[in-house]
Amino acid sequence: MKQLSDYLGIRPCTLVYLLLIFFSLTTFLVGQMGFSGLGMSLLVLSLALIKGQLVGSYFMGLGSVCGLWRWPVFIWLFIPGILIGMAFTLSYQ
Amino acid sequence: MTVDRSVIQSNYPPGDLAIWIFILAELAVFAIFFAAYAFTRLQHVELFNEYQLTLDREAALINTLALITSSYFVVRSVTAIKLDDRRRCVHWLLAALSMGLLFLIVKTFEYVQHYSEGINLSSNIFYMFYLSLTFFHFMHVIMGMVILAAIAVMAARGRYSRQEHTGVESGASYWHMVDLVWLILFPLVYVMR
Repeated sequence: MKQLSDYLGIRPCTLVYLLLIFFSLTTFLVGQMGFSGLGMSLLVLSLALIKGQLVGSYFMGLGSVCGLWRWPVFIWLFIPGILIGMAFTLSYQ
Repeated sequence: MTVDRSVIQSNYPPGDLAIWIFILAELAVFAIFFAAYAFTRLQHVELFNEYQLTLDREAALINTLALITSSYFVVRSVTAIKLDDRRRCVHWLLAALSMGLLFLIVKTFEYVQHYSEGINLSSNIFYMFYLSLTFFHFMHVIMGMVILAAIAVMAARGRYSRQEHTGVESGASYWHMVDLVWLILFPLVYVMR
């Protein structure tokens, strides 16, 4: 992320901000265009989890922390992410 | 013997450790809420899909952009205080607060709209989840704004500096948690169907 932001000539946090905006607009458009179904739900969920990880790593600063404290946001995203994904998968069976 | 403080600090998250314990407890509650929503929906798929369409997705997008932008402003305020630029730190915090206020205004309009349509917690199980989840988050936004405002006042009074800015980092971490929760809540409640 840092290398890419250097290449673009912007701060890493600004690049992350722009990515968060882009993913949010994508999520909104999926809803507005009426897309539904398991594939779309899991895609939107994946985008949300990626956004959450970006916030944890770059905004909360956990990406530069060593040891156990690097992982709480990742684990928090992983567990509900799996449960929500599982519930939506079951709802289509 | 000299101790390299930067190496020690890198083993811990930014801010006070106590705020992180609090953040993890809050996140655990929201995780249970999200899982409860998803598994309850499993038994009422048609109802959830039908009433999800009655929500104002455009308002939710505005709120998403407001929270992401406020989080970005908070990141910039932490960067400013690390450079000993107190004035700029306060300005970024005020900008973040204005985005938080926008969130509250838009969400309040949504609640007023629902109230005028006679929608409440007892209307059906979808609205019960929607109203309780979003209102619980709404209260966290208010609490986060109180924290940010207190930090802005203290920063303006010169309480923080390049050497001591734990308070700014602690408040920033809490505010990012509020943003983080909304980033899951928005697609789960407003989009996924």
